[in-house]
Amino acid sequence: MSDKNAQISDVITWVVATIIIIVILVVFIYASSVLAQKTKVIKLKEIKVEISEKNIDWVELKTSFAYSESSEENKQIIDAWREENEI
Amino acid sequence: MNNKGSDKILSIYWFAILVLVAGGIFMMTISFYNHPYDVREIEAEIIINNIADCLSQNGELNSELFNATGFSEDFRTNFLAKCHLNFEAGEGEEGQYYSEISFYNAGDLNSLAYEITGGNKNLAASCSIQNEKEYKREAICVEKTFFSLNGENLYLIKILSAIGKAEKNVR
Repeated sequence: MSDKNAQISDVITWVVATIIIIVILVVFIYASSVLAQKTKVIKLKEIKVEISEKNIDWVELKTSFAYSESSEENKQIIDAWREENEI
Repeated sequence: MNNKGSDKILSIYWFAILVLVAGGIFMMTISFYNHPYDVREIEAEIIINNIADCLSQNGELNSELFNATGFSEDFRTNFLAKCHLNFEAGEGEEGQYYSEISFYNAGDLNSLAYEITGGNKNLAASCSIQNEKEYKREAICVEKTFFSLNGENLYLIKILSAIGKAEKNVR
């Protein structure tokens, strides 16, 4: 009788272990597919090479060049635009 | 005999678990690497950088943009060739690139002075809805703005770039 009980408890242990393994696998498979959807969007900002302490946008650099060449009146326009756009 | 039988069952069980775990790892790998990298945003930014370089160098607008009377019609017509861009699609395929460049006089940022477009104009329609998640299979749009000079005249230039190619970048 006690032998039968031991066998049953053994089987239950293995069944529970199997269920846990399957649940963990399903969770990981789901997580990997969600991760794949979320992390596989690549943006230029993330791979930009640092050329100074501050990462400078290539197009923003064009405005800086124009600013350095501009008259006072034009500089004011650029400043106002930068302020408006929080650059 | 009974002990031998349970050992046999246990080894079959272990083998089954091994197959299960291996299959799980295989499925995880497949589900992760089966999703393509979405590089359309970076592609659009690279195109914008190229166009910006073509239009403005050292803060001055490209002299080819102008003729004696004002903005050049020739540059507008041959914009893609002049900026060394190739938006051509394969035979029977729809164009996957669109670029729109708008020039505004700095004195009046609301009135359009000049506009250049190139590529498949249908992609521009996706730009207004691209932020909604369900429309991620539509074209990706990126817009950048900068100032440049033509002599004493200051212009605000807006470059919009739209990239289709959803089949290759989104699943």
